[in-house]
Amino acid sequence: MLKPKQMSRAVIVGHKNILEETVDALHKANLFHIEDFNEDGSDLKIGKPLEGGSEVSRKLVKIRSIASLLGVKEVAVAKQNPSAVCSRLDSCLDTLDQELDVLVEKKRLLEADLKELGSSKKDLLPLINIDLDLSLYRGYENLVVFAGHVKENPETLVSRITPSYEIYYDQHNGTVVLFVPKDKAEPVSEMLAGASFKEIKAPALDGVPSKLLADIERKEADINTKIEAVDTEIDALKLKYSDLILASNEILSIEVQKSEAPLRIATTESSFIIDGWLPTENYGRLEQVIENATDGRAFVSEQEITKPDIKIVPIEYNNPKVVSPLQEIMNLYGRPTYKEIDPSALIFITFPLLYGMILGDMGYALILATLAFIIKKVVSSDAIKPLMNILIYCQVSAFLFGILYGEFLGFPLAGYHGQPGLIPGFETIDLFATPFAGEVVGYPLHRTHLIMTFIVATILVGLIHINMGYLVGFINEKRKHGMSAAIFEKGSWFVVQLGILLTALAYIGMLPIIVGAAVFIIGVGMLLKGEGIKGPVELPSILSNSLSYTRIIAVGLSSISIASTVNAIAFGMIWPPGSPIGAMTLFAIVVFIFGHALNTALSIIAPGLHALRLQYVEFFGKFYEGGGRKYDPFGYIRKYTEEN
Amino acid sequence: MVTEAVTMADPAGLKAIGAALAVGLTGLASAYAERDIGAAAIGAMAENEGLFGKGLILTVIPETIVIFGLVVAILML
Repeated sequence: MLKPKQMSRAVIVGHKNILEETVDALHKANLFHIEDFNEDGSDLKIGKPLEGGSEVSRKLVKIRSIASLLGVKEVAVAKQNPSAVCSRLDSCLDTLDQELDVLVEKKRLLEADLKELGSSKKDLLPLINIDLDLSLYRGYENLVVFAGHVKENPETLVSRITPSYEIYYDQHNGTVVLFVPKDKAEPVSEMLAGASFKEIKAPALDGVPSKLLADIERKEADINTKIEAVDTEIDALKLKYSDLILASNEILSIEVQKSEAPLRIATTESSFIIDGWLPTENYGRLEQVIENATDGRAFVSEQEITKPDIKIVPIEYNNPKVVSPLQEIMNLYGRPTYKEIDPSALIFITFPLLYGMILGDMGYALILATLAFIIKKVVSSDAIKPLMNILIYCQVSAFLFGILYGEFLGFPLAGYHGQPGLIPGFETIDLFATPFAGEVVGYPLHRTHLIMTFIVATILVGLIHINMGYLVGFINEKRKHGMSAAIFEKGSWFVVQLGILLTALAYIGMLPIIVGAAVFIIGVGMLLKGEGIKGPVELPSILSNSLSYTRIIAVGLSSISIASTVNAIAFGMIWPPGSPIGAMTLFAIVVFIFGHALNTALSIIAPGLHALRLQYVEFFGKFYEGGGRKYDPFGYIRKYTEEN
Repeated sequence: MVTEAVTMADPAGLKAIGAALAVGLTGLASAYAERDIGAAAIGAMAENEGLFGKGLILTVIPETIVIFGLVVAILML
């Protein structure tokens, strides 16, 4: 806790003829983070892939293309025996590939046919109501045919140009087909251009359009049935081979990983050197694994971690299980580096605390906690689970603050100076008056009546949180650059704050002002020495950062306002107390449910983001660097197959 | 004779207007500042998802302006 796992750098050396066994054993152990080797001009060269790698890659490409063609989805299935999968795969990969190819090709051709039919159907549609064989549209020597769209029937206009014509007009589609003698074609064409004529090309088919269309539609239906049949066949293949595909994809991926491992390590003519990292606690196990796999012919030796190495140490969190969901919040920002404090355990407390302070409503806490539990049960994704756990932590805190604030879905539980609460007979107990605007603190704490007090209290919470940050910063700095750097860089902030506090005491006449001012100036001086000019420039951040915590009450009040507005609309305006139960009751309940559903959604986003921001900006800003590499051991977590 | 109608503004009303201006204008200011930062942060995140944390921080820094506005408004009322 508070520190990433201690890591060791290890080097494995051996003769090339035991490389395969070594790689196999490392992969199975899944604990060694291989540091990729880059050729650096020395005699060491990058290794060559293990034998059989290209064959495995070929199969993997094939199986992945089959998986994408079949649309195989990752689902939880029973684990299978790898050797059984391999033999089944060898026997049926090629036939499956061919079968699928045939089906896919068949489907592609059918779809091309369908597209072609669709386009000829589109050409036919304008002429559908003109009962004229399409063969009559072409092949004349002395006649010209005009077919196209017009706005209105051009017959009268044509008859003025020539008495010998034949016209077919379809009012519904605005289509006209006009036959005129060749010598009149030019004036007719001009006239039509004036009547905004748009030519359409008659399809080169024989037959009456309406019959042709019926024919096309029949063919379309026929092709669609065929496509469906092909789809059913593909689905059958998917059903039959889905588990094989998932399992063999996994086995082949593992094989490829193994066979390509030499590309990441250094080799000489006859030996190999694998450089990498592992948690110190597993060092003994690594020695054991290598010893067993190679009969002691490969050697493991621990390397000293040098100063430049510290920047590249892969980071593995070392937190209790209950804290681990918060690591997601850390990953979002960046993993800690090797020498700094891992704040996951700190935000395990502060993040839900600030969230709860903002939301502080029993009703919403119960709803959201239930939702989180349901989502956690229903969705099996590994990415969702930690988020839901964080949400549950936050709701526990929100529920506790809900008890403190006495709020349930925006209703005050206790009566307050004559205004009734949700629980009859439960009255607010006044405890003491605060110096802020004469507000009276009692139980439960009515946030809406204690605004000034809450503003001051949240600023105090902020100061505590910020100083926690400075303290962690102090420890980090001490670890990295020693005590004096820590005192000047981070300790100076405590001195500055003390100076401000003493000056404030002088303001109320308890001390001469010179004391506070002197301490303040000493603090600024230390800051200047520690951080350079950047330090004093950041001085106002004490004010802006602590005032930033007033968002705890501000965002909380906005949430209460939305909730109580929904309540007032539903049970004050639509269905006032004492009125009879009827249609309005139903309406009020609908408004109540939708209003609170909206506010519940906002209750994740607003307090969540604001609490997150207070961690990232105000808290982490004081100490956190981040940017550590992920510890990513060479290996694979099997989902579909058993370990050999 | 011309009589001049003497009207007096209700101080409570002026206070309310002041509070509204404090929240409204600072809200606009935050929005204006966050607009460019947010767009740039999304752009950076599209290139490298690991920048989410830093992007979020930079985006929400100007938000403090409106929180100050809100505090001033509450202090006024």
